[in-house]
Amino acid sequence: MHIDWFVFLAQIFNFLLLMYLLKRFLYGRIIKAMDDREAKIARRFEDADALQAKAREEAQLYEQRNQMLNEKKEVMLNEATMAADAKRKELMEKVREEVDTVKTRWQEMLLREQGAFFYDLRQRAAKQLYATARKALSDLADEELEDRIIEEFLRRLQALDAEKSKQIRQAITGGGNRVTVQSAFGISAPRQSQIEEVLKKQITNGFTIRYLHEPDVVSGIELRVNGHKIAWSLNEYLETLVESLTETLQKEAHAA
Amino acid sequence: MEVVSLNQISPDQVIIWSWNFITLNVTILYTWLVMAILVGGSILITRNLSSEMNVSRWQHFLEVVISIIRGEISEMTKKGADHYVPLVGTLFLFICVSNVLVIVPGFVAPTSSMTTTAALATCVFIAVPFYGISRNGVLHYVKEYFQPTFIFFPFHVMGELSRTLALTVRLFGNIMSHEKVIGILLAVTPFLFPVVMQILGLLIGVIQAYIFAILSMVYIASALSAEDEVHAEVKKEGSTA
Repeated sequence: MHIDWFVFLAQIFNFLLLMYLLKRFLYGRIIKAMDDREAKIARRFEDADALQAKAREEAQLYEQRNQMLNEKKEVMLNEATMAADAKRKELMEKVREEVDTVKTRWQEMLLREQGAFFYDLRQRAAKQLYATARKALSDLADEELEDRIIEEFLRRLQALDAEKSKQIRQAITGGGNRVTVQSAFGISAPRQSQIEEVLKKQITNGFTIRYLHEPDVVSGIELRVNGHKIAWSLNEYLETLVESLTETLQKEAHAA
Repeated sequence: MEVVSLNQISPDQVIIWSWNFITLNVTILYTWLVMAILVGGSILITRNLSSEMNVSRWQHFLEVVISIIRGEISEMTKKGADHYVPLVGTLFLFICVSNVLVIVPGFVAPTSSMTTTAALATCVFIAVPFYGISRNGVLHYVKEYFQPTFIFFPFHVMGELSRTLALTVRLFGNIMSHEKVIGILLAVTPFLFPVVMQILGLLIGVIQAYIFAILSMVYIASALSAEDEVHAEVKKEGSTA
């Protein structure tokens, strides 16, 4: 096989030239472009990794904050619940107090009304009793009821013990030697002198008596000396009656 | 002018112009054509290269080709593949384009000339020691010829020469014979059958280009790995001492 050495050398030269040209215009550029792209991709991956790490950190931070907020919310909720409970208790207490006040006021009003009612009842009952007793006494006996009342009053004066007599005597002396006798009816002159006589005999001598006609002294007579009093009237009987009535009414109110 | 006839075994015989010992034949002419296509195409395509994600189809094509070449080299050398890409890549691209252009009527592959294949094989023959020495030094490279004993030196030399000859003749034989077969078939059975043979010829051309480039790399890699082994042994001795 014939080999043309000039062509042989020319082909070697051609190949080396081609190698050089391709290295310059092809491999170098293409490899550089690929390497650049790889570097860019690697950089992007690094950036992505960094971003991912950052995102993870952010997420962790967010999670922590969320947890903190939840805890804070829990605390605030507890505080709010406690405050609400306290406020509710306070309001309940206030309401209870108001209710108690209203109840007390109502009870006081009720008591006042009860008192007024019983006062009125007592007055009416006394008058009725007085009228009934006088009628009964006048029907049953010849002497009037006033005389019997005065007699009972005198009997009480005479029945005073020494201590009580002494106190009244001192009271008469301290009160300017003035004695007031109040009665729901008029006292006749003989009866007045009878009263003075019993007083002089039982207590003391030097005093002046003033007789007053006072309808409020229910069917009775009383002696007033500087804060001391000797009396007989239907009041005490009536008070017993009123107490009995009060007790009965309260029992009925509780039962209702 | 009839480019290739049966009595002309090589395109070297078709001389276009000559002066003294300087001759311009079809082989050189078509070599220049292939070179012009490769270089011109490279310049055109790599003129607007992009390192972004969106690149042109031609750039994609070239990147794929270069990546395959780099990958093949990397499998053998393990490292520094880019160092050998110009030689191996140029061998593959030149032979491949020369062989594929045979499909163009009137074109004669420069690789069907034994002068061309011999020139290419000579380049490989020179490149093997060049890369070996440039990497590990002259001494280590020469010592390799005397392994395991100095008696093997002639065999090593014969091996180098014979594989260069094998490279030359393999490529030349395949391409030249294929062209001759096509020529004969055209004369005997025209129409369909030569077309099938032409397609087969394209496949053979690409495979031959691949074989030539891969064998060249194997020779270079064997020289490099032998040098690496020597280095490894030296280091091992040094460490045990």
